[in-house]
Formats: sequence, C-alpha cells, structure tokens
Amino acid sequence: MPEGTLCNKKPIKTEEDLRQLLADTGGKEYYKQMKVLEVDRKLLWDTIQKTCKSRIRTWLEICAHCGMCADSCFLYRINDCDPKQVPAYKIQSTLGEIVRRKGRVDNAFMHMAMETAWAKCTCCNRCGMYCPHGIDMGVMFGYLRGLLYAQGFVPWELKIGAGMHRVYRAQMDVTQEDWVETCEWMAEENEEDYVGLTIPFDKKDADIMYTVNAREVKHYPEDLAEAAILFHIAGENWTVPSEGWEQTSLSMFAGDWEACALQVKSVYDAMERLMPKRMVGTECGHAHRATVIEGPYWAGRKDGRPPVPCMHYVEWVAEALRTGKLKIDPKKRIKEPVTLQDSCNYIRNHGLREITREIMSYIVEPGYFIEMNPNGDHNYCCGGGGGFNGIGLFRPQRNKALITKRDQILSTGAKLVIAPCHNCWDAIRDLEEEYRVGIKWSFLKPLLIQMVEVPDHIQPKE
Amino acid sequence: MYDFLTGPMFYLAFCVFIIGLLVRIVLYIRGLDWKLDRVAYSAFPAAGFKGAFRSILYWVLPFGTRSWRTQPFMTVVFFVFHLGAVLVPLFLLAHNLILEEKLGVSWGVTLPQLLADVLSWGVIVTTLLLALRRVALPEVRILTTAYDYLILAVTAAPFITGLAARYAVTDYQLWATLHVLFGELLMILVPFTKLSHIVLFFMSRAQLGMDYGIKRGGMNPRSKGLAW
Repeated sequence: MPEGTLCNKKPIKTEEDLRQLLADTGGKEYYKQMKVLEVDRKLLWDTIQKTCKSRIRTWLEICAHCGMCADSCFLYRINDCDPKQVPAYKIQSTLGEIVRRKGRVDNAFMHMAMETAWAKCTCCNRCGMYCPHGIDMGVMFGYLRGLLYAQGFVPWELKIGAGMHRVYRAQMDVTQEDWVETCEWMAEENEEDYVGLTIPFDKKDADIMYTVNAREVKHYPEDLAEAAILFHIAGENWTVPSEGWEQTSLSMFAGDWEACALQVKSVYDAMERLMPKRMVGTECGHAHRATVIEGPYWAGRKDGRPPVPCMHYVEWVAEALRTGKLKIDPKKRIKEPVTLQDSCNYIRNHGLREITREIMSYIVEPGYFIEMNPNGDHNYCCGGGGGFNGIGLFRPQRNKALITKRDQILSTGAKLVIAPCHNCWDAIRDLEEEYRVGIKWSFLKPLLIQMVEVPDHIQPKE
Repeated sequence: MYDFLTGPMFYLAFCVFIIGLLVRIVLYIRGLDWKLDRVAYSAFPAAGFKGAFRSILYWVLPFGTRSWRTQPFMTVVFFVFHLGAVLVPLFLLAHNLILEEKLGVSWGVTLPQLLADVLSWGVIVTTLLLALRRVALPEVRILTTAYDYLILAVTAAPFITGLAARYAVTDYQLWATLHVLFGELLMILVPFTKLSHIVLFFMSRAQLGMDYGIKRGGMNPRSKGLAW
C-alpha cells in the first residue's frame, strides 16, 4: 500500500522524522499527501473487531436517535444549531458508519471523519451527561481518533505532538538537559527574594513529586519558579524528577495509544524510582487526565491507579490553604469581579468542582466571585480542548467555538478569569486576542504569589 | 388461530423474550473490558456499585437530572410513554390472569381499570408526539431512520389493538387476536432490536455510572458525586 513520505500510517519515531515533518510548514505537503492516502480497510476492521466491544457497540446500537444530546453540545449551539453538529449524528455518521460498513470506507470518508473527530468534538464528555442511555460520545470520539490515527488521518500538529512524546517523552523538543537547566536557572533567579529557595532534583521519599507541562519549561519558565516559591513558602518537602517530569500527552489528543503508554510510563517510572508520598501536577487539565485518570490503563495497571496517589495542582492549593501551609493576606484578596473556568478534564471528569470553589473562598473577597452559567460538572468546554487549540487546519472552527466561552464570561460581568488549565488559559487568551472583549486571565500561581504571606525566615534580610 | 397464539406461540414468544434478554445481559457484561474501556470495574466494587446506582436512580426519576429538567416537554412525554409501556403489560388484570393460567404466577397486584385505560391512552398519545417530534425538530429529524418509526409502531401496536379490544369497537375477537399477535411479535423482536434497551438501558447506565464512580471522580472523598 503506497504511502506519502510525510503523511502515512507510521508513527514518528526519530528526531530526523520529526524535523522533516516540522519543515513542512503548516503541513501543506502533509495534507496534500493525505488526499491520496489509502485506507487499510483490513487493519481498520480487524482493529474494530478486537477493540470495539460491548460498551461502544451497545452505545451505537441502542442510541434512540432522540436528539436530547443536541443542546448539550456547545459546538451544536454555537454553529446555529446545525443538525450536523448533533453529537449523536456526529458519531453515528463516522464511527457508526465505519462499523456498519465493516471498515469499507474511502479516503473522502476518512477526511470527513477526521474533521468531525477533531473539529466538531473536543472530547469534553458533556453530551454523556445528557443522554438518557448514558452514551458518552466523547469517549467514542476518543476511540475514533485512535482508529483514524492508525490510518494516518490525523491533523499535522498532532502527528508531530505524538511524535514529540515518542522521541523526547515531552510534548515539545525539551530535552532532559533543557529541563534541568531551566529549573536551575529559575531557582537562581529567585533565591535572593526567597531565602533558601531551591528546586530539588531526584530527592527520594519526598512528600511531593512535582510534574509539569513542557510548555512551562520552553515558554513560561516563571511558572516553574512560582511553583517552587509556593512549595517553599508552604514548607513542603518536595522534588522534581530529572526524567519523567512531563505530565502532558498530545498523544492522547492524537489517539496514539502506544505513545500515550510510553509517555505515562516515564512518569510512573519516576514515581517508582523516587517513591514520593504523592505526586502533584501543574495547572493543566489534559495532563491530569492523561497521567492520573487514563494513564494507569494505558500502562496496564489493573487497579486504574498510578503508582502513588496523585493530585491536581488545585487539590494541593486547596489543601495548603485549608491546613494553613499557605496563608492569604486578607488585604490582598481579589476585590474585583472574578469568575472561574472549570476544566472539563478534572472538573466533570475528576470530581474537583468543590475543591476549586474552596480555593475561591480563600482568595476572593466575599461577594466578588461570580459563577459562569452553566458551571461545575455542567460547564462548557473552553472552546479549545481536545487538541482543538493547536490545529491550524481547523482554526476558523476553533475561533467560532471560542464564542461560547466569550459570551459566558461576558455575562458574568467579571473582568478576570481564573483558568487553572493550560488549554483553557490558551483558549481564553485567544478569545481575547480574537474578539477584544477586555478581560484578563490567569493561572492560580501568579495570583497566589501576590497574596500569600511569606514567612520571616524566607524573606530577604535587607 | 387464537388458540395457537395463546398456546404454543405464547410460550415461544415468552421464552425468546426472557432468554433473549438474559443473553443480551450476559453478552454485555462479558464484553466489558477494564483495559479497553479504561475502567477498573472489579478493583473497586463498592465505588462501582454506588456510581451505577446513582447513575440509574437520577435518570429513572422524572426531572431527576439536569437533562430532564432542561427539556421538560420530552421528559413528560418520555415518562408518560414508559410508565404505560412498562406498567400496563405487567400489571393489567387480564394479563395477570393469563400469566397465572399459563405460568402459574401472578404479581398479586393489578392496575385498576381506569388507571390502565389512562396509561394505555398515554402510550398512544405520546407515541404520536414522539413521532411528530421526529418530524418537527431538525436535530431529531437528522437522526431519524425508518427503523425508528418501525420501533414506535411495533411498540404502539399492542396498545392500539388492546384498547380496540377493550372497547370492543367492532369485533372483540378480531382485535383480541391481533392484540396477542402484536404483543408476541413485540416480545420476539425485543432482544434483537433497539428495544433490547429494556435491559441494556440499565447496563449502559450502570457502566457509565461505574466509570464516573470508580475513575472519573467518584472516589474523591471531597467530591459529592457527579451532578447528573
């Protein structure tokens, strides 16, 4: 079966392959090759027979075609209630059709399926909460993405992203040296302001092993510094692993399950090597989903749990505020209307809605916190989840999708949005750039740094 | 004809219905796979049970979930339809007499005639509304196939013929025969069609409930559980 040099069914495995694909700016040649990429129908049908078992088959079969999922989907609503955006239609016309045709689909079908899987669904799982049968179309779209990836029908950026994880065990070309040097640099930059500040590497039996998003290392090193400062102020016995520090997984967005396993095992290896009491991950939603919620299954862990208990950053913050490890200066609490973005990946999908509200109760002056509507488990996706933010080909669709969140934020009247998730944070930044509505957005860390009381022994003597 | 339908055919339809549904349940459970589904079903039975229970409970309560509350028209239609479709076949006095005669069992509880009439009319009216909804709403129309109308028709047929016999509109015997025929046809079709949701609804709901109960936050001690 002839394949393109850039667009093919083989995963990226070497730096050379990565460079070649990256050199094809915007994936121009890649998508051209995709136009003639053949579908390996036997592989497709064999995979379905092996992996599409009673849960998904039953979902596809018993869907009553009642359309109650329609209004649950923010993409349906924002696209003028286009019937083709009804979640049940989207999954029935793609995965359902592949199953009914026993894998006998062609190139044009796969293009349609790719657009549906990555530009018409962010895998936010909201529809699953609105279906009487409990049919979770987000889960099915995740499965469909895996089928499409194996056939080479995957957006250019996500093919690269999955390749990055395979080559660097990080979503970007950040090497172990880059990581260690960046941490050392950030510790040096801040040690004068915070006496005794270090970023301790590979300390065994620490209370906390901290893991991050490679973007922080590459583009936002101050985030690492802020994390270190807050752990230091809280008096935590913490460490970072020199290997296995990357918590994210663009391979999850891509549907490259093999890469998912490789990536998450690197983090679990670090846990087993350092034996921390627990792991705390940075303010990222999909990273938490990948490493803490889905990862154990990719790694074949029967109890569905990582090797040590894991917390999202918001859980650590709530605990530190609750126990008094971090004390907020009441004078410095947020005294302007502020709202909170609920990340699908750890609110709806990991039960942390009470935790984030608890944080608000400490850091926002009473009366200034305004909920979005809907919120909590029923929140809408930021508009850029599931990889949507990063796909150039689908940028117009993504920008349209941002309008949901824009209007949700505007109707709160708040000018500040707290977004403890990289994907949401990006989406909100992009919606401000795109639509200029005059809002600010922030992770928790920089806000906490401004309002937390610094103990005397950490304050510089001068 | 009537003797055949209420004799051998009844036993056949009954067996296909019961055994068919049992097979669907067994196949469903056997097809669950902790690794593929990414849910540690057996590792945390208590959390799994709690999640499954919540997931079913909120959804069998009218207006029990946000989805039901935001779509009140559908909720009313749905519950009126299902209430009749479940209660009348099981608890109609005449059905209980047949059960007792054929299988030697009965519930001991039966529906008063007026209630049975209201529930049956409810099924017929809501069937029409569900069909109209399929035509009227673009988001439902795009999903609808001939199969969906067939399912509505075979479900409503025993009720239409049953009420016709009840009121003896023309020839009681004819309508009664048709009623038994359609009732048995329905029972035979159930395991092989979407109507298998009679049991698979509970399976599917329990599965997603376990997913949320075990994996997606249900075990966080600070979580009050997913807000269905």
